[in-house]
Amino acid sequence: MDFKDYYKILGVEKTATADEIKKAFRKLARKYHPDVSKEPDAQARMAELNEAQAVLSDPEKRIAYDALGNQPPGQRDFRPPPNWDAGFEFSDGAGGGGPGEDYSDFFEQLFGRARHAGAGGGRGHRREPQPERGPDHHAKIELELLDSYNGAERNISLRGAKLDASGHVVTEDRTLSVKIPKGVIEGQQIRLGGQGGPGHAGGPAGDLYLEVSFKPDARYRVQGRDVTASLPLAPWEAALGAQIEVPTPTSRVQITVPAGWKKGRKLRLKGHGIPGRGATDPAGDMYLELELALPPGDTPKARELYETMARELPFDPRAGL
Amino acid sequence: MNTTTAITVNQALAGDLLEEVALSLEELARACRVPPDWVIERVESGFLEASTAPPGQWRFASASLVRARRLCNLETTFEAGPEIAALAADLIEEVERLRQRLRAAGLDA
Repeated sequence: MDFKDYYKILGVEKTATADEIKKAFRKLARKYHPDVSKEPDAQARMAELNEAQAVLSDPEKRIAYDALGNQPPGQRDFRPPPNWDAGFEFSDGAGGGGPGEDYSDFFEQLFGRARHAGAGGGRGHRREPQPERGPDHHAKIELELLDSYNGAERNISLRGAKLDASGHVVTEDRTLSVKIPKGVIEGQQIRLGGQGGPGHAGGPAGDLYLEVSFKPDARYRVQGRDVTASLPLAPWEAALGAQIEVPTPTSRVQITVPAGWKKGRKLRLKGHGIPGRGATDPAGDMYLELELALPPGDTPKARELYETMARELPFDPRAGL
Repeated sequence: MNTTTAITVNQALAGDLLEEVALSLEELARACRVPPDWVIERVESGFLEASTAPPGQWRFASASLVRARRLCNLETTFEAGPEIAALAADLIEEVERLRQRLRAAGLDA
């Protein structure tokens, strides 16, 4: 496990005052706030910032962390010495983090014990542990559009921390297999009961919330339950109308293209969007954006046909200019 | 001491879609790790939307959970008052809506 330099993460000196730390945190938080930031690693950076802030803004944790930082440097594989935290009391059993925070292995190693020991978890407080429900966790899951059309089973990997039998904090990698309900759409949350953080002293586990998003798809664009795709037409299909077969995400359907080309025209396939979920949530529609595709004029036959059109069709594409 | 165990759950878990089992006030508060009063204050001030599908009971679906977590996160990170956090959340959501319309129009942001 790597030693995390929280001062470096916040870009402050080891001697920084509480006020300087707060300012540095807020400045970087604006830059990396995942809701706003365009940085590709915003999510990870924000998590690091939150963790650094949680430690350095808490006087007790900061003192303990500083004491640790004074050990000989240069250890790549960092392990806190046994009983490194003897004599420190972390008064906030909840880990002192902001809401919904999940911290790194490093943090869990240092402060996890206090965090997992429940409220008032420092040594010396010998209180009867109260059953406490585990925290709810949040994660994102990225699906293919087809998963929503058909329903699916997807695996999701999660990393969490828990106490082992001897009271040590261990990290635990879990792979959950999750049933994706048919008709799920972007932004919806799937709740998995009891799959969140473990409870304490016999309390139940928390829940896990999965926020659904779709992987970008080269063919389909999705808004709510409606799905849009481009439909290329040959000039004669566009001009004369045609019966053609088009693929939808799950099938092929026969459609009639009306005669007469109009730029920007869309055809709607009612009910061919994302499947509905019950009477209040009917299926979406599929929209086909008509596009013109021109045959290349690179064979003698094609050239001849284009030349015939040029000669015999009174057509000025720039009449409106 | 630094052990990692890997667990695979083989049986696929079926979850609840929040659109169909909307959260109660207490469940929303727990999911955001805030006290229920925090939620009540923000609903009463109009910063957070609740549906009152069974009359007299507040229920919260996916969008409200995302919004509540966002408000909470903005308030804590920037020590912002609820009004400023709500304003920032409004703007973030508006930008999201516009980006989504760009994507739907095939003009990727």
